Amino acid sequence: MDEWPADRSENTSTFPWLLLQHARLQPSGVAWREKNLGVWQCTTWVQALDWVRHLAYGLAALGLQRGEHVAIIGENRPRLYAVMLAAQSLGAIPSALYQDAIATELAHPLELTAMRFAVVENQEQVDKLLSVREALPLLEHIVFHDPRGLRHNTAPGLRSLDEVEALGRHHQALRPELFEQAVAQGQPHDVAALFFTSGTTGLPKGVVHTHASLIDRARAGAAVDRLTAREDVLAYLPAAWIGQNIFSYAQHLVCGYTVNCPESPSTVAIDLGEIGPTYYFAPPRVFEALLTDLQVRMDDAAGFKRWLYRASITLAERAQAECDAGSRPALRDRLLLPLAKALILAPLRNRLGLSRVRVAYTAGEAIGPELFRFYRGIGINLKQLYGSTETAVFVCMQPDGGARSDSVGLPAPGVELRVSESGEIVLRSAGLLREYYRNPEATAEVLDADGWYHTGDAGWIEPDGQLRIIDRVNDVSRLADGTLFAPKLIENKLKFYPSIKEAVAFGAERAHVVALLNIDFAAVGNWAEKRALPYSGYADLAAKPEVLALLADCVAQVNTDLAADARTAAVQVRRFVVLHKELDPDDEELTRTRKVRRRFVAQKYAELVDALYDPARQSQRTQVQVRFDDGRTGSVQADLQLVGTKVQPALHQAA
Amino acid sequence: MGFLLETLIAGLMAGVLYALIALGFVLIYKASGVFNFAQGAMVLFAALTMARLQDHMPWPLAFLLAFGLMVVLAWLIERLVLRHLVNQSGVALLMATLGIAYFLEGLGQLVWGDDIYRIDLGLPKQPTVVLSGLIPGGLLLSREDLIATLAAALLVALLTLFFQKSDVGRALRAVADDHQAAQSIGIPLSRMWVIVWSIAGLVALVTGMIWGSKLGVQFSLSLIALKGLPVVILGGLTSVPGAIVGGLIVGLGEKLAEVYLGPMLGGGIESWFAYLLALGFLLLRPQGLFGERIIDRV
Amino acid sequence: MNHTMRLSDATGPFHAKTAEPQAIAAEPCDDVLLELLDIHLGFGGIKALQGVGFDVRRGEIRAIIGPNGAGKSSLLNVVGGVYQPQRGSVRFDGRNPARMHPALAARWGIARTFQNLALFSGMSVLDNIMAGRSLHMRCGLLAQALRLGPALREEIAQREVVEHLIDFLEIQAWRKQPAGSLPYGLQKRVDLGRALAMQPKLLLLDEPMAGMNQEEKEDMCRFILDVREEFGTTLVLIEHDMGVVMDLSDRVVVLDYGRLIADGTPDAVRADPEVVRAYLGSDAA
Repeated sequence: MDEWPADRSENTSTFPWLLLQHARLQPSGVAWREKNLGVWQCTTWVQALDWVRHLAYGLAALGLQRGEHVAIIGENRPRLYAVMLAAQSLGAIPSALYQDAIATELAHPLELTAMRFAVVENQEQVDKLLSVREALPLLEHIVFHDPRGLRHNTAPGLRSLDEVEALGRHHQALRPELFEQAVAQGQPHDVAALFFTSGTTGLPKGVVHTHASLIDRARAGAAVDRLTAREDVLAYLPAAWIGQNIFSYAQHLVCGYTVNCPESPSTVAIDLGEIGPTYYFAPPRVFEALLTDLQVRMDDAAGFKRWLYRASITLAERAQAECDAGSRPALRDRLLLPLAKALILAPLRNRLGLSRVRVAYTAGEAIGPELFRFYRGIGINLKQLYGSTETAVFVCMQPDGGARSDSVGLPAPGVELRVSESGEIVLRSAGLLREYYRNPEATAEVLDADGWYHTGDAGWIEPDGQLRIIDRVNDVSRLADGTLFAPKLIENKLKFYPSIKEAVAFGAERAHVVALLNIDFAAVGNWAEKRALPYSGYADLAAKPEVLALLADCVAQVNTDLAADARTAAVQVRRFVVLHKELDPDDEELTRTRKVRRRFVAQKYAELVDALYDPARQSQRTQVQVRFDDGRTGSVQADLQLVGTKVQPALHQAA
Repeated sequence: MGFLLETLIAGLMAGVLYALIALGFVLIYKASGVFNFAQGAMVLFAALTMARLQDHMPWPLAFLLAFGLMVVLAWLIERLVLRHLVNQSGVALLMATLGIAYFLEGLGQLVWGDDIYRIDLGLPKQPTVVLSGLIPGGLLLSREDLIATLAAALLVALLTLFFQKSDVGRALRAVADDHQAAQSIGIPLSRMWVIVWSIAGLVALVTGMIWGSKLGVQFSLSLIALKGLPVVILGGLTSVPGAIVGGLIVGLGEKLAEVYLGPMLGGGIESWFAYLLALGFLLLRPQGLFGERIIDRV
Repeated sequence: MNHTMRLSDATGPFHAKTAEPQAIAAEPCDDVLLELLDIHLGFGGIKALQGVGFDVRRGEIRAIIGPNGAGKSSLLNVVGGVYQPQRGSVRFDGRNPARMHPALAARWGIARTFQNLALFSGMSVLDNIMAGRSLHMRCGLLAQALRLGPALREEIAQREVVEHLIDFLEIQAWRKQPAGSLPYGLQKRVDLGRALAMQPKLLLLDEPMAGMNQEEKEDMCRFILDVREEFGTTLVLIEHDMGVVMDLSDRVVVLDYGRLIADGTPDAVRADPEVVRAYLGSDAA
């Protein structure tokens, strides 16, 4: 890969400084677009600057100080992004928190950073903060974006962003020079933002990033994909997640492209179609959901249409695989491909809202090879990248023409990367976190004296230079007979089946592997309806013998697949159980980014797992706590069937 | 090649007129949930009025006056008939329209006489040859038919636009969907009915003018409406686009059948082909191509 | 039919929000918007309402509860002008109509939602709510048919009002879908949106939570409270689930067999021995 060009004059840049520059260089370029009252409303860079300025004066008038933290909680709204910029202009540190977190989860970061300011989207967030306010005596100001339901609320310190803007306009008239002065005071190595890792264990840690670290990585990524000011991005993932910050904030300000904010979370699919982003990121989960939805729909389609769809996809996947491998597809495929493109592939891309996508990334979890092949096949330049909150995302990226599902790419410009003796991936770059907020022990665990960051991921570097991740170092273990057991590998294979929403595999120190499964309610529900199989709800459906048989088939196929490789033949799934409830972030079984909290799940369902290892047991009664949407808790219980599966003999002997 | 094109164009032109007739049925069915048996009588009545008024004044004026009379008629129908049948069964309404049909036929001939009258719109009668550069011999088209077709097509387009896009059109659709709910949001039922019957009157008037100027105004004109029946069966009673597509299919179908099947089956296919097509549809897809639900009131 | 009347279960998840009436108290609270006097209504030999009378103040949420067949819906239909009472009078906004009928009710600013869905099911969600603006449209027929300037401008202005409601009810994702194809809970919201589009002074809700699951009920409660706060609309709602009503309403009227047996604050009504008897009686039935 080409050497990343040396950073020119912009070593002094901060985010507010970048904003000033765009307002000067492309004043009428569109910074943000937001669908409001059914119409896409544009904010140009000049308008964005005015907006940020008013908000900054307003926040300053309320007493926001350099170096203090501001909580930002809500969906993706241009005005909330403007607040982040306003806070940074004053030298304060915005920290976006997950908008779907429950009140007690929000309290921790606010308490940790002694926040006095919280800027939130709406009544829902205000209510959450007010409900934990007694525990947060320092929280003085709660500022909201949408006044609905809050006009008559007289809680102290509660005010609208409209008021803050008006206040700001007033103060701007008094001291017009203040804003530029404040921005000029900001230095690249000032702290720019605080991100809370959704850590799979313990309380979330605050990851401290500077303007320099975020901008360094944003530029590295932009250089690899040659991003321009003409990109369109849809901001639909939680702003609290660093990836969202990179794609919709850091790179937005570095490249000067347009960030589009959906009307509401329920309209993302519609908005995606209307905007047609050119630069797109989605975790594998989203790609998976899109495909599942599509497959459900295709199952309903007429016979001929279904056949045409299957034939086109198979053809396109085959042709793309040839191209990716560097060879030319067969003549017949080359002739048929334009037909498939016109009839199926192009309409399909359009339907998914991905017809203009130039660069699409996925990361966060391994993506199933079939899933990856599908999206590349239909003509989307889907690639993988590797990174984390601590590394400001871009550590490894797949180059165009080097996309594969089992690796995560070449080291990005500015990254030094190696695999330690213990098999852990360690790296150095200008984009690393400065530290964990007020947590020197945790910082010392990941950052060593030489500035190497320890990722906690196990993997190796492939012959072509791409990095391959197999699992978390801590999760990789061995079966009782010493076979290497990487649970994620198995789970990912299981989760590719549309019927399986979530899978958790167990096997450390055990004789063999077992799994907990979640059905995909939409897909299996549809399947059941087609067979006129009545069910009364999730738990009932998940317990139907027909559904268990369906899942047993999936597991058996995964076993066949595992048996094909000598390294994995021993980790075939012997037994599984289908849970009667969905694993849910509200019950702490998943993180807010919907990763399985393996240890927590193992503990919570220990009884069930033990029963799976007890060949004498055919079923197990279980009772678990659940938290409902309104915050109440209750418990659900059920008798769950333990299902045994077919295991294949290993096909190849180890060489 | 030229002959086929001529047949196709003739079929499409007839189709547009059928669509217009069908639209009269669809409008009233959508707004008041009744199949209007009086549509044919309205065509006759409007054409008679037009023809007789034309003796005394230029035709555009006669047209406006005749339309005015159709609006008065719509108002009277609402006042005297529909208003008293609110919440009555569909059959009662159907019977009422039958009554209106007989009344109009009688009234028309009583007031305007029962001779054969002519409507002269001053359209050019001589045919014209088009596309002679592209096709050897060109295409022979009746200019009168062409203008009539364009006028009908324009009316169909305007009505469609009106129904789909205007606020009154939306209110009409609302009334068609649920009387009680429409009333609760302040849509005045009686006014909507007057509007929709007036529009049906306008459609009847234009239909009567076009056919009347070709064939003369006489009692058989009221049977023209029967051509609308297979069209609404094809397109669905509740769908405006259905009426249009259905009309075109019937028009094209019967012309093609006449030309290509006629020699085998003997002539006159044109007169019954549409009903055969409709019968087939009733068996296979009773709600029509675009229909929303099974018709239960006819 | 067995009702789920839970006299003790009044502390639901909505309690926090009932503190809001203080804010409304700034408006003239003694001002009566709707007054019913001695209403008698019968169908054939059945006496649906026998001398019912009560008032509704501006800005309040007034509930009418009672077992099935108590005459709740009849009462709502009298206010909406669907039924004409044999005796008694309806006074609305300082005016006494000689004869109330639905068109007049709509013109005076009385809107309603329906217990059984009565959406224009073939029309889009947007068109359903736009239809609710019918009374506010001013342009002539011809201008509309031709989409002339003023009509277009008017349409845009009306659309803005409607879009605010779509935003308010959080149904942006279903704008273009036929209303009839939506799930039940969403259809109820569209029904509410259509009524709100009239910008009514008084909104009558006929069992807004019937047939809903717990989550949908909570959503609907939130919308009802927000309607009052956001638009200052006076609301009268019928329910037979007492738990929901007690948290939501300022004052409650209790009907039983067409007679008014109690009228007062939720607490007072809950303690009323006759109410307890009527409900326990119906529960035992």
